[in-house]
Amino acid sequence: MRIELKKFGTTLISRQSGKEAFAALQSTVIDIAVDEIIEIDFEGVITFSPSWGDEFLTPLLNQFGDRLVLLPTSNPSVKITIKLLEEINKESFKAKS
Amino acid sequence: MEEKLFTIGQAAEYLGVSLNTLRRWDENGKLVAIRKDGGTHRYYRQQDLDLFASNLIKLAHDWTTDGSELPAMFYCANSAVFQARLIKMQDTLVRSGLSENLVPLIVSVAGEIGNNSFDHNLGKWPDIPGVFFGYDVTKRQVVLADRGLGILSTLSRVRPELKTHVDALRVAFTEVVSGRAPEARGNGLKFVRRVVAENPVSLFFRSGDAELRLKKDNNELFITRSQSITRGCFAVIEY
Repeated sequence: MRIELKKFGTTLISRQSGKEAFAALQSTVIDIAVDEIIEIDFEGVITFSPSWGDEFLTPLLNQFGDRLVLLPTSNPSVKITIKLLEEINKESFKAKS
Repeated sequence: MEEKLFTIGQAAEYLGVSLNTLRRWDENGKLVAIRKDGGTHRYYRQQDLDLFASNLIKLAHDWTTDGSELPAMFYCANSAVFQARLIKMQDTLVRSGLSENLVPLIVSVAGEIGNNSFDHNLGKWPDIPGVFFGYDVTKRQVVLADRGLGILSTLSRVRPELKTHVDALRVAFTEVVSGRAPEARGNGLKFVRRVVAENPVSLFFRSGDAELRLKKDNNELFITRSQSITRGCFAVIEY
């Protein structure tokens, strides 16, 4: 399953909207197969922040572990956020190269 | 040709402040009105109003100092207003032709600083809720300020050993610690530091009597004590 983050907005900034996005996604991911990969697509996102990421990506990582895969992006706000979240959570995201 | 003058009512609408605020600003010299031929009515030149509104640093500083009314265009009373204006700034930066690498970084840094103000002060604002948020694409400057509790007061709930604003600022920008424990928070300012360290962006940040300067493409923290005490937080981002 591919999750296009742009469907949640192009400016993904606050904790509150990150939380809302995570809650909204639960109805979609609840029925997926136990071995299905969940790909996160950053295409179309202009601004991304650690607050939003920590409320959306961190719980998804806890929920799906290695089945959560981040697709490549050149957006610097995404790249710095991912690196910081990995350091804070002491856990790496699986990335598709 | 005679320059068109704004009446006080038109000027109030233009700036988004009340008539009483304009009268007070005239009396204390903050924004002096014109009086025609020794009359009593107040008038304003548009260029004076524009100049007044363009001094973002002074407006934000005065607001954190005296809490007087702000021009409506800079005041975000709640997080929803801030988010909407942040998206507008993003659109403005994109249209201004700023590099597509820099736009997301400026917006995310401003977003983290502004959202910190709301996240850490929600339900605890000492007097006026909300943030000052202004930007100038020509000066390449973003200014944010709040009249909240400030970094020391926020952090000392989870780090009671912190005694000075300088120490609190250092912790806020270097250590992963949450001011809203037991929730896992407190990474926004570390993100800000990293963006500045790796990009052509600089930051001035003041809380209490501590001032921090993060310089372009430099990972060093410069923290000093300021002459005056700032209520809440005050930040200037330049790029």
